[in-house]
Amino acid sequence: MTALDRAAVEAFLFREARLLDEGQFDEWLALFTPDCRYWLPIVQEGGDLEPSIIDDDRVRLEERIFRLQETRAYAQEPPSRTQHNISNVEVTEAGAAAVRVLCNLTLFEVRIGDASQLDLGRPQVLAGRCEYLLVAAPETRIALKKVLLLTRDLPLGNLSFII
Amino acid sequence: MPRDPASLVIDRPEDFRVHSDAYTSPEIFELEMRRIFERSWVYVAHESQLASAGDFVTTRIGTQPVIVSRGRDGGIHVLLNRCRHRASIVCRLPEGRSQQFVCPYHSWTYGLDGALLNVAQKEGYGDMDRGPLALQHASAVGTYRGLVFARLSGDGETLDERLRHVRDYVDLWVERSPAARIRVTRAAHRLTYAGNWKFQMENGVDGYHGNYVHSSFIRIADRAGERKASAFAAVRETGGTIGLPRGDGLIERPHGGMAGQFDYAHPGHADYHAALDAAYGPERRQDILAQRNILIFPNLFLFESHLRVIQPVSVSETIVTMLPTILDGVRDEMNAARLRSHERFFGPAGFGTPDDVEMFVNCENGMRARGVEWVRLHRGLHRERSGA
Repeated sequence: MTALDRAAVEAFLFREARLLDEGQFDEWLALFTPDCRYWLPIVQEGGDLEPSIIDDDRVRLEERIFRLQETRAYAQEPPSRTQHNISNVEVTEAGAAAVRVLCNLTLFEVRIGDASQLDLGRPQVLAGRCEYLLVAAPETRIALKKVLLLTRDLPLGNLSFII
Repeated sequence: MPRDPASLVIDRPEDFRVHSDAYTSPEIFELEMRRIFERSWVYVAHESQLASAGDFVTTRIGTQPVIVSRGRDGGIHVLLNRCRHRASIVCRLPEGRSQQFVCPYHSWTYGLDGALLNVAQKEGYGDMDRGPLALQHASAVGTYRGLVFARLSGDGETLDERLRHVRDYVDLWVERSPAARIRVTRAAHRLTYAGNWKFQMENGVDGYHGNYVHSSFIRIADRAGERKASAFAAVRETGGTIGLPRGDGLIERPHGGMAGQFDYAHPGHADYHAALDAAYGPERRQDILAQRNILIFPNLFLFESHLRVIQPVSVSETIVTMLPTILDGVRDEMNAARLRSHERFFGPAGFGTPDDVEMFVNCENGMRARGVEWVRLHRGLHRERSGA
């Protein structure tokens, strides 16, 4: 398996973004390894004894998707529409087995509904610095998706959609 | 014309109603800030955030910006964050460590206790006496079991008097640590919603929304094999909501089981139970491990995983800060597991909190409808018991 080059990494990340924006959550989940981590830290150097906004292993990530697809999650009724934009892609470490990637995420989100109601019809923009660890297993999979939100230690709104 | 506050509540034996104006009127909000937040004991910080001399946090008492600092003498100072010169905010950082606070505008320098130490280019101020120009300080500051409270203005009761009915519950909360010591994490979950601050306050002592609002979490726990949905419904029949004087109160479930709580009773934590028994005795341990959401009016909740601070911004905007707790005398693995459990339910991306917030905004929206003015809070009145 040859190391992923930047074009292949971008294609992968664009597809991941599209799956989320199209609401293809099962296909999105399938991109992650069994030992994956989906992580939105608050402080950068905290370790286990600091809370994160999200710190999902595979089990919890599956719960997150289950909640969206199979339950009454009122914070997603009506559901979010999202647009994930990936830019500034850099492959910082490239090996045959794994690739480390940095990129920027600009995410637009809005819940469509009665726009005269608060919290509906109001687009929010989230910016984040992403770090991915992609492994070749044999197809490209995500072992780590870390998103450092610009606003991670400020009061946030509804983050019940997938970032 | 704002309603007279006395007319906002109907309080009869089986009829308890609150007028919507209490939640939607900017004039009532202003009265709440002045008469409640600025004149009562209000939570401002945790001692663990002020461990060393020079440590400080900035926060609000109601809408009033304050600096909370640990002085060189070890005392805690609560200072109005407003320069005595031209009214600039003096300290714009949320937290830090410093030996003084320097206003960036004209370099007036204040000590940790608020004293005006120096001004730049002082010859231009003539004979100005710096003594009376200290940062305004709160009229009283007090600490109980690590919780720091302040009263911004006026005379009144001591903190001891204020907490006398809720103190026993605070003790039980702190005694989740075998060393009776808790610290808060540096990072916090922070969220904001477009609604009145009392929606969050009332939700924390609402013991009967969980089965509905948090049905998704109940199904997640059921799917994970942790607790059956029927068991959550059964929990609803245990314990109850306790109202205390001064607006304090709590939901209490003696055997736990509310959605989102860490499973302290799990046999895997036998060493923790033994440590609690050694520190407090086995009977007290049972009481300590009861699940409680404790409200210390007007702005502080004590949950088993975190302390929660409600900050009113305007009549229809609120910031909520959740500070997870680390228990002293407990293995790192257990504190880490408590944090992972907290993240699962609480915070803006948790499986529980966002659905609560959705209800707050729903109520904020619904109250804009005219013609129906009263909110009904009478549930349970017919079976209410008074006394100890």
